[in-house]
Amino acid sequence: MAHITINQYLQQVYDAIDNHDGSFCAELLSFKHPHVANPRLQLASPEEKCQQLLEPPYDEMVAAHLRCTYAVSNHDFVEAYKFQTLVAEQQLQKKGKGQPGEMLEKAAEQLMSCFRVCASDNRAGIEDSKKWGMMFLSNQLFKIYFKINKLHLCKPLIRAIDSSNLKNDYSPAQKVTYKYYVGRKAMFDSDFKPAEEFLSYAFHHCHGSSQKNKRMILIYLLPVKMLLGHMPTHQLLRKYDLMQFADVTKSVSEGNLLLLNEALSKHETFFIRCGIFLILEKLKIITYRNLFKKVYLLLRTHQLPLDAFLVSLKMMQLDDVDIDEVQCILANLIYMGHIKGYISHQHQKLVVSKQNPFPPLSSVS
Amino acid sequence: YLMSGQASHPQANGNMGNFSSGDGQVHENPEWEKARQALASINKSQSSAKTAQAGQFQPAVTDSAAIQQQQQQQPQQYYPWYQQTQQHYPGYTYPYNYYYPVGPPPPVPGMEDQSTGYPSQSQPPPPATPQQPQSPTTSEKPPPPPPPPIPPPPNSQYPPPPSQNAYSANNSMQYPHGDPNQMQAYNHSQGRPNYGQGFQAQHTYQPSQNTSQQPGQYVPGLGRGEANKNKNQKQGQQLWHRMKQAPGTSSVKFNIHKRPYQVQCSSMSNQSFPPGEQPSGLNPTPSSPSSASAAPGGAQTRPQDWPQAMKEYVQRCFTACETEEDKDRTEKVLKEVLQDRLKDGSAYTIDWTHEPLPELKVKQSRWESVASQRSSDGSISRGGSAVVASPRGRGGAHRLGHYRNIFSQRSPSSSSSRSSSRSPSPSHGRNRDRSNQRHRRSDSGSQSDSSISSDLRPQLSRRSQRGGRGRGNDRDRGRGGGVRGRGRGGKANRGRRNMDDSNPAVGKKRKGGNAGLDFHDPNREAKKQSRAARFHKQLRSEPLVLSINSLDLPDGTQEGLSWEDCPIVGTCQDITKSYLRLTCAPDPSTVRPVHVLRKSLQAVKIHWKTHHDYTYACEQMKSIRQDLTVQGVRTDFTVEVYECHARIALEKGDHEEFNQCQTQLKALYKDNPSENIGEFTAYRLLYYIFTKNSGDLTTELVYLTPALRADVCVAHALALRAAWALGNYRRFFKLYKEAPRMASYLIDKFVERERKVALRAIAKTFRPDLPVQYVQSNLGFSCLDSCMAFLTGLGVTFYPCDPQKIDCKTSTAALAAS
Repeated sequence: MAHITINQYLQQVYDAIDNHDGSFCAELLSFKHPHVANPRLQLASPEEKCQQLLEPPYDEMVAAHLRCTYAVSNHDFVEAYKFQTLVAEQQLQKKGKGQPGEMLEKAAEQLMSCFRVCASDNRAGIEDSKKWGMMFLSNQLFKIYFKINKLHLCKPLIRAIDSSNLKNDYSPAQKVTYKYYVGRKAMFDSDFKPAEEFLSYAFHHCHGSSQKNKRMILIYLLPVKMLLGHMPTHQLLRKYDLMQFADVTKSVSEGNLLLLNEALSKHETFFIRCGIFLILEKLKIITYRNLFKKVYLLLRTHQLPLDAFLVSLKMMQLDDVDIDEVQCILANLIYMGHIKGYISHQHQKLVVSKQNPFPPLSSVS
Repeated sequence: YLMSGQASHPQANGNMGNFSSGDGQVHENPEWEKARQALASINKSQSSAKTAQAGQFQPAVTDSAAIQQQQQQQPQQYYPWYQQTQQHYPGYTYPYNYYYPVGPPPPVPGMEDQSTGYPSQSQPPPPATPQQPQSPTTSEKPPPPPPPPIPPPPNSQYPPPPSQNAYSANNSMQYPHGDPNQMQAYNHSQGRPNYGQGFQAQHTYQPSQNTSQQPGQYVPGLGRGEANKNKNQKQGQQLWHRMKQAPGTSSVKFNIHKRPYQVQCSSMSNQSFPPGEQPSGLNPTPSSPSSASAAPGGAQTRPQDWPQAMKEYVQRCFTACETEEDKDRTEKVLKEVLQDRLKDGSAYTIDWTHEPLPELKVKQSRWESVASQRSSDGSISRGGSAVVASPRGRGGAHRLGHYRNIFSQRSPSSSSSRSSSRSPSPSHGRNRDRSNQRHRRSDSGSQSDSSISSDLRPQLSRRSQRGGRGRGNDRDRGRGGGVRGRGRGGKANRGRRNMDDSNPAVGKKRKGGNAGLDFHDPNREAKKQSRAARFHKQLRSEPLVLSINSLDLPDGTQEGLSWEDCPIVGTCQDITKSYLRLTCAPDPSTVRPVHVLRKSLQAVKIHWKTHHDYTYACEQMKSIRQDLTVQGVRTDFTVEVYECHARIALEKGDHEEFNQCQTQLKALYKDNPSENIGEFTAYRLLYYIFTKNSGDLTTELVYLTPALRADVCVAHALALRAAWALGNYRRFFKLYKEAPRMASYLIDKFVERERKVALRAIAKTFRPDLPVQYVQSNLGFSCLDSCMAFLTGLGVTFYPCDPQKIDCKTSTAALAAS
């Protein structure tokens, strides 16, 4: 492959197109493929050859690709970029100016029109229905929508897939991808239970050799699991190179607010880029709960003075906390069901239930 | 019908066989390249040899008018054909068309030839095969509605077209032969009446045979390719004639013919490309059969003279056609273009190898226009009863043709067939003229043909109308077999329904075309080769030129629309100006330059401070913004204007304007950092809190630099966000009270919402009671009264004994309900 002639290369491209072998064709146009290092393909003007062998628009694409390999071999990366983007043509070319999401939105439009075609294919038989393309297209659309922060556009897609009678028959790979995005969407909508369900499905059904994908799934599954009270093991984090979560996990389960704040700020960039910073922030509530549970365990009483909580918070170096804020935090915990009890404003005490005052997180909705 | 169809088929087959025998040696369908090469060589030789011939012929043709007429006539002929085919469809069943042509040689010997030729046999070049079917069907069948000739043609058509293309070189050959062809054609035309009576099949076949023979005779000197070409041409001509005759002829044959027809079309196009004929042919003007014959003649003269590059160009054009529709279109376009070129002599100077393919330019729009023309022409020209009938058919065909274009690619072929059918009707003035000319050249038969055809046509059209819909559908399905075919057929059917009765027939044709496509599969090898052949000359008439600029073009055009690319400098000196939304290009005399705008801004600020008239301020600010935008001014001053307007809008709670300003500011800050960047970033964060847009919040966080985070406003917004996220109302309202600059205006938008949420938690948490004071201080109420108003507004209950204490338990229910 690395030493084929231009004609052989073009023939391969032609065959790939002719055989509808999209993945191989993609390889032949990819820069991850060894053929790009083949000096015989690095032509300054491949247009003519391509034109002879291939039909438009493929001739232009391939010619641009070959020209790009030529440019790369000359270390002219600017030009190489331009030509490779020409290969990517239409949708994938990026504009230096303008909205970064502009081309993505255009791509989404195109994909959406394809999706509509697929979704409206009611005539063909099941086996060759275009509906089989729905999930793949919606997955691609999800990818774009997540990139351009248009999560609300995912809803109709999800509805369409959900109402499809094929939804359980798509390929596992597509289903995993689909569940991954749907899970992420549920997570951002604060629907943590379904999010856990979808992401767990994706994680369990993801192919074992796709460590990278499993890691991506875990990045979202972990916060959701933690919010629901399931803490990941150290081994898991190590296996998937997600040690950024290690301190978070530890601090949450210990109720160590100080450590949590440190961990969050330490890996803030990573978490923000993954889009989970705001989710992880909610772990503070769990951490409060765990911290206050310790106070309760220490005091061994059902009538806990609010001052005790204030002290514990001060210990966590939250210096600007006052008794009102303690009441506020407790009010939220009680309101959310993390603590069974009530506050007596008059006596400045938290009165907790004698039975199970701190119900397990998994039982709290 | 069936009976007649069968009979006709055998005959046709026989004819075909003859052709094939002659042609078969010459070319093998599958091996297009070889054929091409042969043709190319032949063409060269022919061209030289033919030039002499051409000289002979040319004289007649030389007259541009005559040529044009001929061309026109040809198209007309096509029309009749279509009509016939349409008619056949209704009456006929697909199976015949399909099976006969496609299947291995049917019982009849002639059939065998056809079948063999199509699939793989070495028979005459593909064109020959297609032609054969066409000729028999076209000539005789056109009249009878039943046969669904169209379907078969598609199959045959597809393969054939390429062959024809390849043969394009043949054109030159054809020309010399063209005369004989014409003669034959005339003969056929003469025979037409008979056909119309019912003999059609036989007659048609005979003509085809004759033609084939003739070509062979003429051709002998020429290479195989030439012979093939000649045959093709002849066949094509014959077909044309038959087409004309078709009106009277039975439908059965048509099915077969259609294929040939398509082929013919392609061949015709090749021959006559210059052919204004195609377009004209498409047009309703029904040229007499003679026209068909004449057309070849015209083509002959030209093709001979054509520069090789031009021939190749024509070939390329046709090879580039994927569908029959495309071919039809190309045909038309080429005719027009090449005619013009030949006329003004530019044909010899143009670099044909770089000439863009016409198809791309023309396509649908042209097609439509042509169709409309045709329909109109047909109606007008065909005043006679017979003529009238045919016009309808034509019109319908056109319409259908449009539909086809829309729905199926194959439609082109159908259109061509239509054109042929039209041409047959000789009654019209144009046709007559042409026919006369033709007569001069060859025979008088054309006139008689025309009359006959006209008589027959009405019948045909009626038939087609009757059976068209149902039959057409059936055929399509049968042919198509695949989902595609059905889908198209269905669409076509719809279109037909909408259209007149005649339309259905057209639809059938389309379907047939579709079916043809499906058929190709058997000939995969041939198909591939033809494709490969195509690729050689192929596609891009202009050499592919990679230019990065092309990438920029779209951008450039887009940006051309932006103000930056067409800066104007205003001359207006007015300090105030009312805002009007621009509906056209701005007039500099109404636009204020920047130095005036500065004064304007000051004036607006002062006015705002003294009068607080938001309507006025907003209008003035908008007009200032507009003037800046129009002049492409994006400077610090622009930032100042937007910031000012954003603040005013914020103060007055004008979301819309505020957001517009924020959007602009975000973009402006990239180039014009302002000291207020933190302030407006904070506003943006707060606004996301207001909209609960955690996604945008996250992205905003990504782009927050440490320096920005240190900004007072941003830090405050971030702290507020953190408190908000955790429901820490205590901290949230503490921050609310400390809001810097105008942040509180924004927070005001969602303070009520947050208070409600907080109050629910509070009511649920505190027992048994809670002083209102706590709520007031924790939820950021400035005074007790406002707090009480808020609480009572939510249905919170108080202890009767102490109205300052909230009854939390009962209030919880009320709050949950609210």
